[in-house]
Amino acid sequence: MTIARQLDIILAHGPELSAGGLDYYKLGLWAAGQPNSRILSLNPALPPEELERRLRAFLHGDQPHTVLVAALDPHHRARHILRLLTEVMQVNPELISVVDLQEALGSPDPQACSITAHHLIGVNASMITRAQPITTQELPVTSRVLVWGDSFAALKAAVDLADLGYPVIQAYPGPALSPLLPGAAPAQPFGAELQDLIARVQSHSAIQLLPQTHMAEALESAGNFRVRLQTPEGVREEKVGAMILAPELSLEPREAAAGAASHPRILTQSQLEDLLAAPEEAALLIPEADSRLRVAFLGGDSHPLALARTLSSARPLLARDNVQVMLFIRDAKVGAPGMEAALGQAQSSGLIVFKLPQLPTLTLADDRPRLAFFDPVMHEAESLACDLVVRDEVYRPAADNAALAEVLHLFPGPGGFLQGDNVRFLPVITNRRGVYVVGAGRGLMDLDQARAETDAAVNEVQQLLGRGTTIAPKGRSVVDRGRCVLCLTCHRVCPHGAVTWDNRAIINELACQGCGVCASQCPNDAIQIRNFTDDQVVAALETLDPRLTPRIIAFMCKNSAWEAYHAAIKLAPVNLPLGFTPLKMPCAGKIDIDYILKAFTYGADGVLVLACHQDNCKSQEGNLHAQWRVERAREMLADAGVDPRRLVFKTLAANTPQDFLAAVASLAEVLGGLKAA
Amino acid sequence: MNMDNPKKFSAVILGGGIAGISAALELARLGQEVALVEKTPFFGGRAANFCCKATDACQKCGACLVDDRLKALFQESRITLLSHAELTGCSRENGLFHLVVKQQPEVINPEGCVDCGLCYEECPAADKGAILTTAVTQNHPRYAVNPGACLYFLDGSCQVCQQICPPTARAIDLARPAKTLELTAKALVVATGYRPSDPACRPHYGYGRLPHVVAGYELEEMLRNGTGPGGPGAEVPRRIGFIQCVGSRDQEHPYCSQVCCAYTLRLARLLKHRWPEAEVTSFYMDLQETGRQSPQFQAEARREVKMVRALPGDLHATPDGRVKIRFMEEDSGQPAAADFDLLVLSVGIGPGDDNPALAALLQASLTPDGFFQAADPDHRTQTSQPGLFLAGTAEGPRDIAGCISQATAAARQVSQYVKES
Repeated sequence: MTIARQLDIILAHGPELSAGGLDYYKLGLWAAGQPNSRILSLNPALPPEELERRLRAFLHGDQPHTVLVAALDPHHRARHILRLLTEVMQVNPELISVVDLQEALGSPDPQACSITAHHLIGVNASMITRAQPITTQELPVTSRVLVWGDSFAALKAAVDLADLGYPVIQAYPGPALSPLLPGAAPAQPFGAELQDLIARVQSHSAIQLLPQTHMAEALESAGNFRVRLQTPEGVREEKVGAMILAPELSLEPREAAAGAASHPRILTQSQLEDLLAAPEEAALLIPEADSRLRVAFLGGDSHPLALARTLSSARPLLARDNVQVMLFIRDAKVGAPGMEAALGQAQSSGLIVFKLPQLPTLTLADDRPRLAFFDPVMHEAESLACDLVVRDEVYRPAADNAALAEVLHLFPGPGGFLQGDNVRFLPVITNRRGVYVVGAGRGLMDLDQARAETDAAVNEVQQLLGRGTTIAPKGRSVVDRGRCVLCLTCHRVCPHGAVTWDNRAIINELACQGCGVCASQCPNDAIQIRNFTDDQVVAALETLDPRLTPRIIAFMCKNSAWEAYHAAIKLAPVNLPLGFTPLKMPCAGKIDIDYILKAFTYGADGVLVLACHQDNCKSQEGNLHAQWRVERAREMLADAGVDPRRLVFKTLAANTPQDFLAAVASLAEVLGGLKAA
Repeated sequence: MNMDNPKKFSAVILGGGIAGISAALELARLGQEVALVEKTPFFGGRAANFCCKATDACQKCGACLVDDRLKALFQESRITLLSHAELTGCSRENGLFHLVVKQQPEVINPEGCVDCGLCYEECPAADKGAILTTAVTQNHPRYAVNPGACLYFLDGSCQVCQQICPPTARAIDLARPAKTLELTAKALVVATGYRPSDPACRPHYGYGRLPHVVAGYELEEMLRNGTGPGGPGAEVPRRIGFIQCVGSRDQEHPYCSQVCCAYTLRLARLLKHRWPEAEVTSFYMDLQETGRQSPQFQAEARREVKMVRALPGDLHATPDGRVKIRFMEEDSGQPAAADFDLLVLSVGIGPGDDNPALAALLQASLTPDGFFQAADPDHRTQTSQPGLFLAGTAEGPRDIAGCISQATAAARQVSQYVKES
């Protein structure tokens, strides 16, 4: 291995390491014998004061130290040591390499055990001794927040933020605040809480309301967005530190046949609710003293909240002796608190529920609505004349969500909502730091859920904007201004909207999440992700011991494959190929074609590129970039006469250690076959 | 950093599952010192044993988030972790919670243990649960002695584990005492989770009696650990059936568990992806919303999985060792029958076993269904008792995503409450 500068190695263990089959005396002697290195053998079970005393004695002097901590399961076992190093000894976290020796214990042969341990320490030593410290910096941010929409969640977010002292701009598309309460009639008089909320939004000195506003452009990034808002008075530019998006849903009635839509006895759910709120009008259509009347609700099965709305307007009708109420649905959407009971209660007060594979067809006969359907219970075709048919309404996301997502460079979410369909974004974050999506912006949900998400987003804003300044890493991603030719590839590929430019590319350190997609795509190698630099990867590849076969280099995303690898070696002793070399990457998007090709040049028999599953990448597209690069690299390998089967791309998750083992085993088998041939 | 005096906390969280972990991490991020009390020796809860359901693409079940957050949990210095510990006393004075927590003896010393598993292999009472283990590798040690079943604690007759533990490790000391800890907290979060409904609650489905009838959570664990159908030495099932609403929407459980439709469809699609030849059928009552899934998800699932709206009658074993189901076919209105190699009961979410005792201890109330009673349907993180908060499935059925957002919200409310009190 090539240790580039002095390295302080801490073997954090007691004698228990030997219990796993690894002779720690020999390991210590070997490490001490490496050039440029010093070694401390430290039993992590010692009392904290003693640990600190020994660490102080070992890491004396004022010069910055580079430390490698090797142990079994170091994040548990060497927890105190790691904490002392960063908190007491002030070692820069970027200059600490943590090596889990567990993989070495998988081999039944003591010699293979120590070879693997040497290899693990060697790879990490060559990388960490080329690492640079990363410090933090305090950056000024704008404490104003843009709240988008007039849904319940948007109103609550505005009030909560304003109460915390953040000035709020609340922009919404309509002329007046008109929140919709999912599950309730839209036109009902607002409840006390919502009325109070609206009054507070309107009167709060820290909230500026912008009705009839659309977003024309959003520039810059987290902490200091510049947004251009189209208002009736013209375009205004505002600077905001963060945004919370919760544009209100809209209601769309179920389609009706021509003519049926305007018939007085065929109403939408909203029209029925209006009718029930006006007793005189209701009496005309559903007379109190009439003979038996039949009211049919068509649908109400798009969501539990739609069903809740249907049931609440069915209730007053069910209370009448002369009205027969029917509900036609495909599925009873009872998957929400209290809904099973609510449906049961309605049924016991007389609601007749038809569950059909297809909703009835609605026609007019003798100027009366008529429903035709196939009754699966009686197994016969039915046709029912009704006195009133109610078409249900479906909740839809705000119509201009797609445009908003495009302006803000958000990965659009499922079903037209605003949060990308990726569990890594739960609960409320997006691919852009500083842009949060809650409530009606994320999906159809009840008040409790909307409130919960608003709380989560307010937490995020507080963390990001603090009191006008925020802490960001300094120099995580570095643009070599001499090499940058302003092709703006980085700007286009950055999943986090972190790259802007003056006469060269600029990476915003608050918005950057360090995935390295830009660095790997830059055609001029002008961007480096500090501590995942090309030099470091090459140095690691140089440590490959040609005697270990088959030499498999695994480039692994730290969020998935790296965890799966650790889970696999901890679950049971696994005998990975002796030449197996695990390399941790900040994201699969940081795996250059160059790395893959160099791995082969340095003698790899096979290369694994292991990424997150599609839609599970923290940077959304890092895994796709990796896949495209592997496809390209395979063509290049084939051109160079190297069997492309030696290069494998696979996606997996942190909790699928079996998939990791299967990937290694299957490549090892391919390599075995190629060797024999 | 001194683990022996965990005395004063802003908040104590009961339950180390996904909700408790999420609440603890968020509180730590908000600058609060918290303690996380977990009844079992291991953190992660039930969701930590769920499997990844990705086919070629992620199916958004969120199971991987548990691993993600567990890793963060063990590195967070503001959180004091108390595993294998239970609340045994609670009183309030001037709003401050005075809590007594009983922690089982830490027989296996984490500094010494190398997770070799010898103790488990050699324990004569391992089958009775004397040594508990976990497959969730973020935990260390992954073995713990259970005084309730260990022969040493029962009658002192056995010390095999202590003797067999490698002399270089010497991690086991059966004489270590249990600890009684006294903590104070300004706020308390109940995140004690749920218990899956009993899969045998519908006896005619033959759980425990018929071969190849498993509960949904068992299939998840088998798939996670690679021990399931189609695993090493096991045959690939050709016909797989799922039965929905087992322990949901019946007299005993008059509510919808909200998660089973989604996990059934995800598991069904995963199996179909693994074994494209297999035929997967799901018997259901009403298909519920499946989280935030795209509208295409259900359509795609319907293409891959045969959906039959019927709850089957009696199940019985066929002579060739399969399971026969009889049901009413919706389209034809006729009785029909089908054989399955594997039958999965989509078991619902039931209230935790300890809920009544814990509620009595905390002077909290439970819903008629047995979950913790929230202040009202629109404030489900709060209770009628100021300072007492709820997170996750202790309050009622919800999925992983729902637990995370509710726990995050609970953290905000706790920190507001702590600042104001």
